[in-house]
Amino acid sequence: MIKLKKIGFGLCGSWMAATAIKSGELVTLEELNPSSPFFKQGASLRVTGKLQEYTVETAIAVVADGNATLKIDTQHLRDISFRIGSIYQFIGELLIQPDNEAILQARVGRIVDGIDLRLYHQSLQLLRQFQADHLNNSTS
Amino acid sequence: MDQRLQNTHVKLLAFDLLSLTQTPTFSTSDPITFTRKNTTISRTEILGVVTSRELKPNKFLKFTVDDGTGCIPCILWLNHLTSPYFSRRNPASLKLISDMAAHFASEVRIGVVARVRGRIAGYRGAVQVTVSDVVVERDPNMEAFHWSDCIRLARNCYNVVGGAVERYRVERETPTCARKIGEKGKEEG
Repeated sequence: MIKLKKIGFGLCGSWMAATAIKSGELVTLEELNPSSPFFKQGASLRVTGKLQEYTVETAIAVVADGNATLKIDTQHLRDISFRIGSIYQFIGELLIQPDNEAILQARVGRIVDGIDLRLYHQSLQLLRQFQADHLNNSTS
Repeated sequence: MDQRLQNTHVKLLAFDLLSLTQTPTFSTSDPITFTRKNTTISRTEILGVVTSRELKPNKFLKFTVDDGTGCIPCILWLNHLTSPYFSRRNPASLKLISDMAAHFASEVRIGVVARVRGRIAGYRGAVQVTVSDVVVERDPNMEAFHWSDCIRLARNCYNVVGGAVERYRVERETPTCARKIGEKGKEEG
């Protein structure tokens, strides 16, 4: 439990030195289905979506983008308020439950109201293409 | 090796920055040189979400910046008033630098989007940015703009600089007669 708290907001120095912080791979909620390559136990992801539900008792949030939704476990987040209808971005690790339902255990969260989601999705495609080209050029 | 980007804060995505080629040198000020496609790079500008923070008061702030393509370790020194390294510097300017660094440290919090500029250094074999300044971005679209900037600059500027040097090197190293034969062959073909 204490270790999990360290993963959250107050990252401990010695712990940080020993463990590299993984980058949250950029993914849209619509891409997060069981057949997707992103849908892996423990995958570090960054997701963006509109807050649909938030339960104070469990600290579970549900964000949506288009027709896709994802549960977010926000128990390790501090200094963040939850407003239904606001757009949030979370970085964390994906936990796939036995019933194949996924929940993101967030270690970072922020409000991104005002984000242009169309621009974001288009830029993400360009970014992926650039990364793929770069990788191809460096291996060839 | 092309030096034209030597004094520029090169805008790089994390995956690109973390894959720079490191070469040890005999210089004490810059013990490692970093190159990308035959171009020497010493400074960078990165932008991303702060995902970890470790503060040693009056010594340093270590933090990581995640831009979605990788996680970059950064160090912001806070020891300007105590380290002998700075003892020859003007006390008034040292105080200003120290206050500025303390201000940057207070701005760097987990979850903010930070634009970080600094010198590229190596620490335990990995790339690390020694921070010179930090700006916290409030506009949520700034990350997408930064990705576009990095892609555009890489394609139109950074890749071209190294490519031009590489072509120049090939031309210099290929004897003139061989080049002429090659060119003639091309014309005939």
